[in-house]
Amino acid sequence: FHRARNMCTKSTNGLVVHTAASFTENMVSGRTSFIYFVKQANPTVKTFIEQLEMSADALEDYGILIGKVNCSEETIEKYCTEEEVMKKIHLFRGPDVLRIVVLFSRNVFLFFLIFFAVLFDEVRCVHTPAELGRVERAAKGTADVVMGHIRVLGLPEHRALMEAAFVYGAKYQFVQTSGTLLLRHMEIADPSDVQACLWFLHCRTVSRLSEPCPHTLMRKPLTTINIHTFLQLMEAPLLTEAAVDPAEVDVVYSHLNVPVIFLFSRPETVHLDRVTAETLAWRLRGEAGLVLIHRDNPSVKTPLVYNAAYRLPQESLRYFTLKNVEEVVTLLRDQLLPKEREKQDKEEEIEYDWSDVLDDEVAESVYRDRGLMLDMDKVPELTADTFSAAVMQHGLMVVLFYVKWDAVSMAFLQSFVEVAHALEGVNGLDLASVNCGEWTDVCGDQNITSFPFVLLYQPGEAAQPYRGMLGAESLHTFLLLRQDPSPLELSSLAEVASFLEGDLYSRHLAHSPVRVMGLFTSADQGVAVFVEAAKSLRGEILLGLFVNKVADAWTDGHTVSLPALLVSRGPGVQQEAHTLLPSTSQNLAERIRCIVLDTFPELTVENLPWYLEQGKPLLLLFVGGGEGPLMTQPLEEMRMAQSVGQLVDVLPCWIHLGRTPAGRSVLKAYLGFVPPLPALVLSRIGGDGEVFHFPPERPLLSKNIVQWLQRIENNQEQCAGAIPEVAWDPPVPFYDFLAIMDEEAPGYAAQRSPKVKPKGKKEQPAGEARGAAGAALNPQTHLQQTEL
Amino acid sequence: MELILCFICLLSLFSLVLTVPGDHHGDNSTRHHDYCVLGAGPAGLQMGFFLAQSQRDYIILERNSGPGSFFKRYPRHRKLISINKVYTGRRNREFNLRHDWNSLLSNRPNLLFQRVSRDLYPEADAFPHYLSMFEKELGLQVQYGTDIGRIQASGFGLNGNKSYILTDQNGEEYKCRVLLVSTGLWVPEEVHFVGSDLVEGYESIPTDPEEYKDQAVLILGKGNSAFEVAQSILGRASRIHLYSPSPVRLAWQTHYVGDLRAVNNELLDTYQLKSLDGLVEGGLEDIAIVQRGKDGGKRRAGKNRMGKSSEGKMQLYFTLSELLDRQDGNRSTAITAENLPGYHDDNFSLRQPYDRVIRCLGFRFNFSVFDGSACPPHSSTARGRLPAVTAWYEGRGTPNLFILGTAAHSRDYRMSAGGFVHGFRYIVRAVHKILEQRYHNNAWPANKLPTSQLLPWILKRVNEASGPYQMFEVLGDIILLQGSHCEYLEEFPLQALPRFSALSGRHVSEHGLLIVVMQYGLNRTDTLGPGRAESEWTKAWKSNFLHPVIYYYRTVPTEGDMRRRPVGWPLPRPDAVHHMVEDFLTEWDQPVSHSQPLRRFLEHCLHMDLRAFYAESCFRLSLTSRKPPLFCRQGYLNKEGFVGNSHLWQHAREAGLMPTHQGSVVPGDDGSFSDCLSHAGADMTSTINF
Repeated sequence: FHRARNMCTKSTNGLVVHTAASFTENMVSGRTSFIYFVKQANPTVKTFIEQLEMSADALEDYGILIGKVNCSEETIEKYCTEEEVMKKIHLFRGPDVLRIVVLFSRNVFLFFLIFFAVLFDEVRCVHTPAELGRVERAAKGTADVVMGHIRVLGLPEHRALMEAAFVYGAKYQFVQTSGTLLLRHMEIADPSDVQACLWFLHCRTVSRLSEPCPHTLMRKPLTTINIHTFLQLMEAPLLTEAAVDPAEVDVVYSHLNVPVIFLFSRPETVHLDRVTAETLAWRLRGEAGLVLIHRDNPSVKTPLVYNAAYRLPQESLRYFTLKNVEEVVTLLRDQLLPKEREKQDKEEEIEYDWSDVLDDEVAESVYRDRGLMLDMDKVPELTADTFSAAVMQHGLMVVLFYVKWDAVSMAFLQSFVEVAHALEGVNGLDLASVNCGEWTDVCGDQNITSFPFVLLYQPGEAAQPYRGMLGAESLHTFLLLRQDPSPLELSSLAEVASFLEGDLYSRHLAHSPVRVMGLFTSADQGVAVFVEAAKSLRGEILLGLFVNKVADAWTDGHTVSLPALLVSRGPGVQQEAHTLLPSTSQNLAERIRCIVLDTFPELTVENLPWYLEQGKPLLLLFVGGGEGPLMTQPLEEMRMAQSVGQLVDVLPCWIHLGRTPAGRSVLKAYLGFVPPLPALVLSRIGGDGEVFHFPPERPLLSKNIVQWLQRIENNQEQCAGAIPEVAWDPPVPFYDFLAIMDEEAPGYAAQRSPKVKPKGKKEQPAGEARGAAGAALNPQTHLQQTEL
Repeated sequence: MELILCFICLLSLFSLVLTVPGDHHGDNSTRHHDYCVLGAGPAGLQMGFFLAQSQRDYIILERNSGPGSFFKRYPRHRKLISINKVYTGRRNREFNLRHDWNSLLSNRPNLLFQRVSRDLYPEADAFPHYLSMFEKELGLQVQYGTDIGRIQASGFGLNGNKSYILTDQNGEEYKCRVLLVSTGLWVPEEVHFVGSDLVEGYESIPTDPEEYKDQAVLILGKGNSAFEVAQSILGRASRIHLYSPSPVRLAWQTHYVGDLRAVNNELLDTYQLKSLDGLVEGGLEDIAIVQRGKDGGKRRAGKNRMGKSSEGKMQLYFTLSELLDRQDGNRSTAITAENLPGYHDDNFSLRQPYDRVIRCLGFRFNFSVFDGSACPPHSSTARGRLPAVTAWYEGRGTPNLFILGTAAHSRDYRMSAGGFVHGFRYIVRAVHKILEQRYHNNAWPANKLPTSQLLPWILKRVNEASGPYQMFEVLGDIILLQGSHCEYLEEFPLQALPRFSALSGRHVSEHGLLIVVMQYGLNRTDTLGPGRAESEWTKAWKSNFLHPVIYYYRTVPTEGDMRRRPVGWPLPRPDAVHHMVEDFLTEWDQPVSHSQPLRRFLEHCLHMDLRAFYAESCFRLSLTSRKPPLFCRQGYLNKEGFVGNSHLWQHAREAGLMPTHQGSVVPGDDGSFSDCLSHAGADMTSTINF
C-alpha cells in the first residue's frame, strides 16, 4: 500500500487514480483491486461511479483498492482503446491479472461489490472437472460443497449466489464456475441453454476418497430465497418417518413451501418400503420432502386402497396409489411442479406451440416482406416465347431461375435486382429472370434442378453456371471482373509490372486486389493450358498472360524459372512466384485458386469456406472494432510467428469483429463469454473440437504464441471450451398425422388383418350384388323406386 | 435386335434361323417387330410416340383407315364430355395438362387438342382429327387396314418367355416380341333376358330427337351414355325412365369421371321436379320385355275407337321372366295382363308401356381374337368386361403382352382416371419406362437432387405435375433417399411398388423412400355442404378434395403389406405420413400452411434440420459446430452460400431467428456493398423499402 501510494495519486475519498506505470505495477503486485477505465463522463455509469468512489474508503478496510484510469490522459493497451472496456469494472488480483468482468448495470450495487470482494477467498473459482475434483477431495468428510454456475457475472443470479456464500460461507465450501465444461461434467444436456444453476455436492458424508460426492441439482431459478430453501432442504433429513396420520405430520418441508410426499408402510414390508422411500427421496431431493408413515398406528386413518399421498404448499392432502417410483417422479415434475412454475414464470417450459410461426430464418424474413412489391424493371421476366431470343442476343445475359415458393429464391431475387440496378448502364450485360413455376419447360430445357440458379449466356458459348456466393456483392464483383477477357494478354514487361502493381485495370482493384500472372518465354510451354484455366477462372480471379522471349529477363533475382506464375496481393505487397509445372487446365485452375488464398487471412462470411476446406485447426485472432496499433500489433506478432515457420500445422487467421460481427457469437460460443479483445483462440475444428484460449494476461508476442501452441501440443494447456457435435436433428417435434389418425379415427390407418379377406372392395359395389331376382322384384312386393 | 436381355437375344436368333424361309419368300411372309401395338386409338398412338422417341422397332396395326375410329361413331350424340379447358390463366404447359383431358403427351409444345377445338366439350369428330394430326406430325408407324383376327402365343418354352404371332385378314403374320394391346372397348355390353331382342342398342339407335316424338322410352343403364341419350330426347320423348341395378353415381360426388357427369344430367332435374321422367333400380338378368298391342289387354267390341294411326303399332312392356312362366309352365306367345307386374301390383313403377327400350350398358373388351394361351383372363372387377392385368399392366399369365388404354382400366376401375385419355396417357408413359428397363436395361429416369433442394422440388411437382393429379391414387412420384442426395422418379404405378427395384432398375437405400401421391379424402361429408373443406394444416388428413399426401417408408412395402393396406388407402400404412392441406386454388405454395409443415415432415423422415440459413449464420455455425446444418454444407461450405441483404437479416433478427450483435460496433451493416456500388460508378437505387 505504501509503495502504491508513492506511485499513484490517491484522491481524498480513497480512490486511486492510476497512471500507466502504476497500473502495471498494480497488476504485478498481486493486490486485489477494482479498476475502471474512463474516457469521458458517461451519464449511464456516472451514478454508479459516484457510489463506487464513495465506498472506496470502506472497501479499503477489506484490503481492496478501487482505482481509476483516465484514458484520455493515459493509454493502457487492451483497456483504453476499447469501447467495451469502458462499460465494465475490472477486478485485478494476482498474477493472472484479469479475473472478472463486472457489467455496469442496475443490478450491480456496491452491496454486491463488497460481498464479492469479501468472499473472494470463500468462493473458489473452478473451470474444469479436474479443478472441481480437487475441491471435492479437500471437502470429503468435512464439508458439503455448493457449486454455482453463473454464465455472466454481475447478474442477479450471481448476486444471489454471493449472498448465499456470505450467509453459509462458514458451513459449506462455495464454488463458482462459468464455462460450459463443468456443465457437461455435471450432466447438463444442453449447456448452451443454461444461464445459471446450482448444485449441492454431498461431500461431508463421503468418507473414502475414491467415492464420488453425490450431488443434487437445484431445479429452481437462482434467487436468494430459492437458494436458502434449497440449502435448508439439503440439511433436512432425507427421509422422515412418522406414525401419525399425514394430516398431522409437521415437517420442515411444509415450512419451506415444497411439496411433501407421504408413503405408507405396513409392518410386514417395512424394510422394503424404506428402501423405496429412500430411493424416491434421493430422486426428489431438493424438490420435495418425503415422509414414511407407519400404518400400524391406529391414528393413521388413510384407507388401504391408497399407498401414497402428497401435499402441495398451501393445498390440502391428496391420496393416490403408487405403482412405481418413476411414476411419482413424473407426477411431481410434470404435473405438480409445472403448475407452480407456471405461476412463477409463464415463459418457461411451454410445450411446443404448433401455431403458425415460421422457424426458418430465410422463410420468415421473406414472409415478413410479403407486402413488398419488387421492382423487376431491370430484371425482365423471360417467357417460353422470349427466352431463346433473349439469350441469343450479343453480350452477356445473366438469367436467374427461381420458383416463388422457395424462400431462398425470393430472397436472392432481391439481391439480383440490386445487382441489376448497380450494373445498369454497363454495356453488353443484361440480367433477366425466369419463373420456373410458370415456365417449367424453359427451366426443364436448361436442366435446372435447384433453385435459385444463375446461368450466364453468351452467344456461341454453352451456358455457364454461376458458382459463387449467392449475394449481391459476390455476383456484382463476378460480373464486373468477367467483363474483361481472361487471361489479359500483356505485351511488355513494363505492362506486367503495372498489372501486378494494380495500375493496369485499376478499376478492378476494389473488387479483387489479387492478380495472377502467367509468364512464358514461348507458346509451347503450356500456354494453351494456362489460357484454358484462365478462361474457367474468368470472373473469379484476374489473370494476365505474357508470352515473350524477354520474359526470361524477369527471372533475374528470382529463384523460380519460367514458365511461372506471379501472384500479387495488392499494390506494395511482396509478390510471390511459383513454378508452373505441366498439368491439365482443370488442375491448373485448382492450383491457381489455392495459390491466391491468403496464408494469414482475415476470415469473413464470404471467404471462410475456402479456408475451412484446408481442414487445419484455426489459430484465430479476434480483433475489435477499431483500427490502429492495438489491432495491427497482434497481427504483426502472428505474422512473425508464421514467418519463422512455426505455424505450419495450423491456419493462422483473424476475424475483425467490426467487419464480421458474427465473429462475436463465435467467440462467445467458444469460451462461454466474450473476453477482452484482442483474443487469440486455437480452434481444433476439424479435429477433436477442443478450443484453447491464449491467456489474456500474457502479452501477445510471437514467441509466447509459439510457446503456447507447443504447450497445447504437449497437453499442458487446459482447453477453454469445445465445439459441440451438434447433430442438427429436426428443430421441432414431429407432428405425427398417423398418431392423430389412430386417436381420432381408430382403424382408419390400420393395416387389414391378414386372415380376413379384404371385403367390401371398392370395385364391387353393393348395388350390383343386389340381384334382380331377389325380393325387389317379387310381384307381391313393391318394386321400390329408390329415391336418390 | 434391340432387345438386350441375353437369353432373349439368343433365343430370338434361334427363332430367326427357323423362320428364315418365311421371312424372305412368299406372300405369307412373317414380319418381325420388337413391339406391336394393336389399335391406333389414343393409347396406341400414345405408346407409338414413346416407342418412336426411344427409337424402337415398332408397328401400330389398325384395322380401320384412320386413327381413333371409335370416336367416329361414339359418343352417338357427338359431344365429348372430356374437359378441354383452353384458358387456365397459366402458361405452364405441365399444369395446363391438368385441365386438358384430350391431348396426348408428346415433346411438341403445340401438339395439343386445343388446336382442333377450343370448346370446353368439343365435337366428337375433333378427336379423330386430332389423333390423325398427332400421328402425322410425329410420323408414327401406323399400318391401317390391317385387321388382326387371331393372336397366338409362341412360347419359347423357357421361363415363360412368350412372343406373339398376329394374323391379319389376308393371312399375313406379324411376329411380335412384345405385344401392346390398345384395342379399347368397343363390343357393346349386352345382358340376355326374355325379349332382349326387342331392345335397341346405344350403338344403333337413331340420334335424331324427332324420331322419339311423344314416345315413352325405357333406357337400361344409368351411366353417361344412358343420360346422353336421355338428354338428347328430353324435349321430344313423353316419358324417359332409366333402369339399372345401382343408383346414379354423380361424378361430382364420387370424383370418378366415369360416373354421371353433370354435363349430361338434365334428366335429374326433370325427375326431381316431377316432369314425367324417372330413375328406377333393379337387376337386369331376370327382367323381360314383352310386346303387346297398343290398347293392351283383351279386346272388346268397338275396338277401333282409337283410330287408324295406332293400328299395328306394338308396345313394349317391362315385366319379369318369372311372371311369364306362371300359368302352365309354357310360355304362351300371347301376353296377358297376368304376365305384367301391374296386374299384381297396381302401383308398380314401370307399369306403363314403352315405345322403345334402349340398352346403354357400355362396352366390353374383345377377348375373341386371342387364342387360349395368349388370352388374358377376365378381370374380377367391372363384371369381367376387362382383361385382368398386373400392377404394371402386363396381362396376367401373358408375359410380354401388355394392355393399354381403356381396356387397362381394371386396375383403377371406379377409382381413378385410368380408363380415360387424360389418365391412361400417363399409364402408357409409365409402361413405356417399364419396357425400357425390362428389355433395354434403361433404368427409370431420375433426377438427382441435393437433399436441401428436395422441398422446393416436391412443391414444384405438387403444384404443376399433371400425371399424379390426373392419375390420383394410382401414379405417384417416388423419392429415393440417399442421405445428402436423393433421386426423384416421376409417376410410378403405386400398386407395383413391391416390385419397384426390378421394374425401375433403381436401388432403394437404407434411408428409405418417400412417395408423393395426390388423393381425395375420406369423402364422408356432404360434397356441397358446410365443412366440406379443411383449411387447418394440422387437420390436413381430413382434407376432402384432391391434395398431396407424402408417404415415408423405411423399406419397400411387400406384396402382403400392399394387400393388407388400410381400407380405401392407395398404399399400406407407412412409417410416417404427411397430408398437405387441400387448397381451394390447388396451389400448395404457401409458407405457413404448406411449405413449413412439409419441411418438418421431411426433417422427421431424414432426421435432419432442413432449414435454410443466411451465409452469416452458416459462417457462425460452421465455426461453432463440427458439422453445420445440411443447407450450410451443401450451399455455404460448397462456396455457394446464400448471402441475403441487411433488410432481410433485420427481419430475421426481429423474429429472433438470427442473433443480434449486441453491443458490437458495427460500422453500418450494409456499408460494404454500398461502397462497392459507388466504385462501380452506378447509382444505387434500391427498390427495397426500408
